[in-house]
Amino acid sequence: MSLKLSKLSKPVRFCLITCVLILVYLIIAIPFKVMSVIPGFTDIRPVMLLKPVYGIFFGIPGCIAFAIGNLIGDIISDSLRWSSIAGFAANFLGPFVFYVFWTRISKTPFSLRTGKSILKQLAVIVVSSVIEALIITPAVKLIYPEIDMLLLFITIFLNGAAFPLMLGIPLMILMQEELGFKPITR
Amino acid sequence: MNRLQANLCLVCVTLCWSTEVIIFSCIPDNVLPFATTFICNAIASVILAVCFFKRVKKEISTSGKKTLLRCLLLGLLNCGYNVLYLYGLNDFDVSTGAFTFSMTVVVLPVVLITMRKTVGAKTWASVVLVLVGIVVALGGNIASVPPLGLLLMFMGCVVRAVFIVKLNEYAKEHDAVSLSVFISAFVAVISFVIWLVLQPNTFAEIPWSGTIIASLFIHAYFIVAFAQTLNIFAQKRATATEATIIYTLEIVFSLIWGAVLPETLIERVVPTPFHIIGALLIVAGSIIEIVEFKGNRRLKNVS
Repeated sequence: MSLKLSKLSKPVRFCLITCVLILVYLIIAIPFKVMSVIPGFTDIRPVMLLKPVYGIFFGIPGCIAFAIGNLIGDIISDSLRWSSIAGFAANFLGPFVFYVFWTRISKTPFSLRTGKSILKQLAVIVVSSVIEALIITPAVKLIYPEIDMLLLFITIFLNGAAFPLMLGIPLMILMQEELGFKPITR
Repeated sequence: MNRLQANLCLVCVTLCWSTEVIIFSCIPDNVLPFATTFICNAIASVILAVCFFKRVKKEISTSGKKTLLRCLLLGLLNCGYNVLYLYGLNDFDVSTGAFTFSMTVVVLPVVLITMRKTVGAKTWASVVLVLVGIVVALGGNIASVPPLGLLLMFMGCVVRAVFIVKLNEYAKEHDAVSLSVFISAFVAVISFVIWLVLQPNTFAEIPWSGTIIASLFIHAYFIVAFAQTLNIFAQKRATATEATIIYTLEIVFSLIWGAVLPETLIERVVPTPFHIIGALLIVAGSIIEIVEFKGNRRLKNVS
């Protein structure tokens, strides 16, 4: 797969990776859109576990795929609103924070082999989720003025933080240590 | 994967398993567990086989027959303990059944000893704490349970303990993804046979809806394909006892879901002080087993 990919030109490879990542996003996200778990308010979004994975292992194509995947998910579940623009920006920035941290800010390359590195990752998860919640909450409030802003902020933050923490970290350990995926380096 | 990572992965596996009840709450009671087991394992097996075709092909070419026979054994053990639990749990209420389910941790060291494998003092200390935790949580409820139900649950725990020991042994020898593919495939086949016997109309008996299909796919992705594969990878580094002790955290997660999540997702259970003390003892037992104490860092991972 990697050999064949390397033969392709850079833009084609970029588009191909983005499309595959969107597909993976949708395969995981769509069942949860069908199964409305908290009707009328929000849904539980385990697909958020892909946020650090896309940023760290796939870089910019991963960030774009995450944002487009979320937008397509909104269209499919008939929840496309003006706030989806903020959702698009937030879902691009979510994985982008991981990409920037591990390629530009951190002095050590990405690894989850020690308690310290896991704590670092935890901090990035919190920062990324706060940024997402700060972008999406005011946008939704503009459209639905009656909504409880604090509750919405907490829900978006928890969705953005809990799944990358509980499922994303083990998935990244598996990908890096056992399945041979290489994180993007500086 | 190092030991810390393996233990983290096992905690994640346990967390995924604990959500099973939430996912299955979207499936009507008239759908047999064998039907859901067949469908979910078949989906997971196909997804994994397609995604990791090269690994599976390589495993078959190097030790195909041996791998298949071992996976068949694991598949039979898996179905065996699930059937025993299924019928045993009929005699228990939700919380009592869940705590009884954790008894595997007590049975496992005995199974290991009968297989002439060593069990360290730290493990015994963990087992005692977890056992005390289970007994405290069960309280007086255990006295009202019919002996047949208790016997079935005990047999289920013995079969599960053998399954964990064997899985731990095979995970160190074979490719984890291939093991996961074949175990799922065999579990799917065995479940289908039982389903066919109990409900000859099979698929026609299921009241298909978007929610049921979504729940089955979610279960197939997270509980079978992801959690099972992660579990086998983690078992390459962790010991069988470490794994079993971490698995007991499932009851702690279940208690948290029951207390925190809305009733649209799960049957609310208000934990009693006994449940909380029992859960804390189980957590303490797990921490003792997981944490490497000073001067104990060079311990080898032996079953």
